[in-house]
Amino acid sequence: MPLAFLIPVFSFVACPLIILFQRWLPGRGAPLAILAIGGGFVVWALATIGFLGASPDNPACDVSAITGALTCHFSTDWFTAGVPGNEITDVIHLDWGILIDPLTIVLLGLITFVALGVQLYSLEYMKGDPRFGWYYAWQALFVAAMLTLALADNFLLLYIAWELVGLCSYLLIGFWFEQPGPREAAKKAFVVTRIGDVGLLVGILLLWLNVGSFSMTDAFAAVAAGELSNGVITAVAILLLLGAMGKSAQFPFHVWLPDAMEGPTPVSALIHAATMVIAGVYLVARAYPIFAASPEALLIIAIIGIITALGAATIALVSTDLKRILAYSTVSHLGLMMLSLGAGGWIAAVFHLMAHGFAKALLFLGAGSVMHGVGAHGDVDIRRVGGLRRAMPLTATAFSIGALSLGGIPILSGFWSKDEILLSVSHHLPAIFIVLAFLTAFLSALYMARAMFVVFFGSEGEDSHHAHESPILMTGVLAVLAVLAVGFGWIAFNWPGAFGGFGSFVFYDHAEGFHFNPLIAGLSVLLAVAAFALAWLVYVRRGWSHESLRARFAPVLRVVENRYYVDETYQWVIDRVVLTVSAALAFFDRAVVNDVGINGPGDVVRRVGVALRLHVTGHVYSYALVVALGVIALAIFWWLRSA
Amino acid sequence: MVPLLYFQLLGAALFGIGLYGVLARRSAVLIVLSIELMLNAVNINLIAAASYLNGIGRFDAFDGQIIAIFVITVAAAEVGLAFAIILRMYRNRGTVNVDEINILKW
Repeated sequence: MPLAFLIPVFSFVACPLIILFQRWLPGRGAPLAILAIGGGFVVWALATIGFLGASPDNPACDVSAITGALTCHFSTDWFTAGVPGNEITDVIHLDWGILIDPLTIVLLGLITFVALGVQLYSLEYMKGDPRFGWYYAWQALFVAAMLTLALADNFLLLYIAWELVGLCSYLLIGFWFEQPGPREAAKKAFVVTRIGDVGLLVGILLLWLNVGSFSMTDAFAAVAAGELSNGVITAVAILLLLGAMGKSAQFPFHVWLPDAMEGPTPVSALIHAATMVIAGVYLVARAYPIFAASPEALLIIAIIGIITALGAATIALVSTDLKRILAYSTVSHLGLMMLSLGAGGWIAAVFHLMAHGFAKALLFLGAGSVMHGVGAHGDVDIRRVGGLRRAMPLTATAFSIGALSLGGIPILSGFWSKDEILLSVSHHLPAIFIVLAFLTAFLSALYMARAMFVVFFGSEGEDSHHAHESPILMTGVLAVLAVLAVGFGWIAFNWPGAFGGFGSFVFYDHAEGFHFNPLIAGLSVLLAVAAFALAWLVYVRRGWSHESLRARFAPVLRVVENRYYVDETYQWVIDRVVLTVSAALAFFDRAVVNDVGINGPGDVVRRVGVALRLHVTGHVYSYALVVALGVIALAIFWWLRSA
Repeated sequence: MVPLLYFQLLGAALFGIGLYGVLARRSAVLIVLSIELMLNAVNINLIAAASYLNGIGRFDAFDGQIIAIFVITVAAAEVGLAFAIILRMYRNRGTVNVDEINILKW
């Protein structure tokens, strides 16, 4: 278990090796990256076995008084900085290490597994790309950074990994930078998440200022001991939340994620399922002792979560691009996770994180398979494809399983996790939240059903004539993920015997069994089935023309199809406010700083010089005259003195 | 015996004429000639003073004469140099009028 730090190290080492030696490595270095993440997966499995066997007797492990979970901590010296005895820059000593608790274990499992699947899948999907080696180098770095993020035992290391994740997402979203779309999307993702990152950094520094340590354990202990004032805790929580909102694409920072699908589709799968966006949810879950100490922060999380969830679900319903539907679906489900965290449903949020991760990886890789099969590059317009289940039966089955799972059809994973979220929301938040959450669940089922039915069922579209099934490697990965999308949810139950269910292993504060409320479950099943039935009616049976539906809701539709004008609002703010302020600042810079401050003294010197140089005529006789007058003056002076 | 004052007046007059020439003349050649005039005025002064100090027929101290010979030597060298410069100036600029040659500034 102490060797768990190797999980990211493998991939960290693989990245520069691939960059430097891709020309000589077999398969442009792709096998090396896969080997690295595969090794990480194996080490994770061993570490998990070690962790499950660990007891509080282990010197490195302890049952945390704050989170209530068994926590193993391995750390070593990192660096020492500062001047001894100096008041301002006193010596800071930092340790770095890994923190292994159930949350880390399940997250590492998700990341290594999905990343392994994605990288295997990419062997086929990215085949023939001119920068194949670079793709795998960035993949390796991306995964390594995300694994470090999950393992970090202090906020500084977490922040470094956090930024690395942002960098890699930039590199991978903009992987096809020859085209303008990916270029812009990459920049957008980087800039938007960066706004949140600033909040995170300030939050971490504020915490450090008040706690005197970057260590998470110290910080949580200080919060639990009441050493920090409520104001500070709320401020830190909100600042950390800003970072989480940026990375996890919460309103109003959600705009980057739907554009991020411009990258290669396996990258989208990785970003949406196992890295990047779950970093925000993970951060909130990890720093939950801080959030839990501030009811205001929790309420803010819940509000942001429900706004994001509902807004994104409605947009997903009217999008026509397959990947864009999935992207908004991710935003919506991340909103649900945040809502759950805000409602105190910590277990439900982490559980949904996992269940959604597998389902969303499956869906994105399925979408990638569709693109591969149809021969589309960039995007799949669902109005132009259809009936693909005949040409691509395996992909269709896998995608449908993912869609049903995410839509919340019973016995599939998504149902159980969503149910848990609804349950915790109904317990801890005002009634309005549960109503909106149910609405989101209904919409979620509806848009998944729409995507599934339109693409794979119904009549053939104009682009689907030459469709063919994807290679075995791609469908194989889909099959494995499909199995998880079906069965992962079952680990939530109160299994008799050694394993008491997800909530008895990964929990915050106290272990919980699996809750089941027949009323809520029944209602959610009813809504999900109704949604699928409605979608079937509209898109397969065509019993209810969706054109007439569109016409009826035209004004609403226009707002939603324009994504609530959030992008336009940003553009307006940038054009009007930012550029105006910038212009004013630029004017100040030119007029005051440059013209007065810099050129001013120069001008004075030059003008004085111009005045003074008039006496230097360049004429010989004027110099001679000065010499003569000087001599005469000297003579007079001497004469007067001697007299 | 001619009083020393006369020699000094002659020297001062020559020096004044030379100074006027340096300041007033436009031709570089004439300026050099004026400088020669000033140097010779000094020479007259030196030799007059030397002979006045030694008295007629006596040669106890030669300082004045020696310095005068030095001045003549230096003046010869200076004239050689000055005319070489003036020649180059004429070749380059086509004139020796110092009014038109005012690059000796800034």
